[in-house]
Amino acid sequence: MKTETTVKGSIPLYVALILFSAIFVFPMYLAFVQALSAWNTTPGFVPVGFHPENFKYATTLIDFWNFTKNSVILCVISLLSVVSSGLGGYAFARIAAPGRNALFMIVLSTMMLPTIITQIPQYILFHKYGLIDTFWPWVFGGIGGSAFFIFLYRQFFAAIPKELEEAARIDGCSIFRTYWNIFLPMSIPIVATVTIMIFQGTWGDYLGPFMYLKQDHYPLATALSMISYKIEGNDKLILTSVSTAGAILLVVPVIITFFLGQRYIVEGIVTTGVKG
Amino acid sequence: MKEKTKRTVAFYSMISPWFIMFLIFGLYPMIYGLYLSFTNYYGFNIKKLKWTGMHNYHRVFTDSDAMYSLGRTFYVTIINVPLGMAVALGLAMLLNRQVRGVGIYRTLFYLPSIVPAVASVIMWKFMFSSNGGVLNGILDFFGINPVNWLGYDYATTSLLIMLLWGAGGGVLINLAGLKGIPRDLYEAASIDGATAPQRTLRITLPLMTPVIFFNVIMGIIGSLQIGLQAILLSGSRLLDRPIQPNYLYFVHAFQQIFAFQRFAYGMALLWVLFLAILILTAIVFVTSRFWVHYETDQEG
Repeated sequence: MKTETTVKGSIPLYVALILFSAIFVFPMYLAFVQALSAWNTTPGFVPVGFHPENFKYATTLIDFWNFTKNSVILCVISLLSVVSSGLGGYAFARIAAPGRNALFMIVLSTMMLPTIITQIPQYILFHKYGLIDTFWPWVFGGIGGSAFFIFLYRQFFAAIPKELEEAARIDGCSIFRTYWNIFLPMSIPIVATVTIMIFQGTWGDYLGPFMYLKQDHYPLATALSMISYKIEGNDKLILTSVSTAGAILLVVPVIITFFLGQRYIVEGIVTTGVKG
Repeated sequence: MKEKTKRTVAFYSMISPWFIMFLIFGLYPMIYGLYLSFTNYYGFNIKKLKWTGMHNYHRVFTDSDAMYSLGRTFYVTIINVPLGMAVALGLAMLLNRQVRGVGIYRTLFYLPSIVPAVASVIMWKFMFSSNGGVLNGILDFFGINPVNWLGYDYATTSLLIMLLWGAGGGVLINLAGLKGIPRDLYEAASIDGATAPQRTLRITLPLMTPVIFFNVIMGIIGSLQIGLQAILLSGSRLLDRPIQPNYLYFVHAFQQIFAFQRFAYGMALLWVLFLAILILTAIVFVTSRFWVHYETDQEG
């Protein structure tokens, strides 16, 4: 196969790749153009003027840093799920116990369940117990882990050779210590993958916070979807350049974490083989 | 303690965080929500709920907004799922060739799918803008009259284009599937004189059907719950009504609950959505016998 691929034959391939890449990048490029343009100019291919100060306004015209702080808090709490999902995934992959298969079927079926079916009654319950406008829902969610991540961890742990456990057992390791001292250290790709996915999911989530929190506790994503950038005294004029700058600032951490973890994410997904 | 007991204890203590939270924050709310859908709960009368039987469900099917939005949601799903899968699979097949700098392309295809929805809507508004927007610029280049992308006629098309932009997230899953196809199958086929399109049709697609199946199911579940992008794309706040063609079922349910405090009715709406998802996935499951190819000797 390899010898067949001539330079000439691969030109259409690269043309296609570059074309598609351009399509995928283009909206992001345009957002940059808009963010650098003068206020309320019509969008175009090149910036109208050069106004990097729009990024500064994005952080000063709304309570930007407070919203960012809330985003960070929610993300840190949600990362509890890295640990709890890992424990679950390990148990499902490596410990034979009665009821395991039935419970795993429950895990799989909750993956299929639309989240909204439980979200609204959860909201009602949280409301009933006075947990609205607190971060407790995220604590509970973090402790509970997620079916999808349990599934990912399980796939990863299941691929590790059995001898490893047996050697540990002979040395007198308890099951928990085998997990903590032997399996976890070799699971960096999957731990990194799950960490990044949880971070990105929580960072971008705007519906959950909208439901459970009030405005002061909104994270950035919810704030950007609810609050417009305006100049004081002129409610009609929405500053699109500035709100675009705000949106770009929201995306930056997501892109940074993706680049940091790219290798692991690809490895994590390819080796665990999410194949259904 | 006996070895077996020890293992059972370890197993149950390790899954207990998930399991306990699942019982309290998953199963219980689900049943509670189902119960509420048969009552007259509107947010303030939790102490004296009245059982109203099928009233809320009857209302779902006589509510013209609900039926209209359900139709629109099916429409979006029927286009979005196959198209998104075709894009993800097609791009994965491109990347599966001997490509220099594969990491860069992979990153570029994947990036849009991790951009938070709020931000991607803000970005796409410039593409769709009717006043000097880029899509209209392209149409103009080909001598086609500009269209009002966010107006009545094109709002759903615009939503679909934006969703398609995020379809690259599926590239990785498809790529993982493609990597799992043994290369010698292609080599054997080449020796037998199979052309490239034949190899794609006869080897790649059949062997990818389990991955496609997984993606169809997940795609249906995700697509039927689309709604908030539709609201944001219309340039409104979460509780405002989006432009009519994009008034999707999820939007209707969400707004019935949070804008009008119709909790019981909203829960009935959501359980109907759940049933729709169940029926659709069941149909896919049943038909999968005819199109999903499992290698019998690869069990396990």
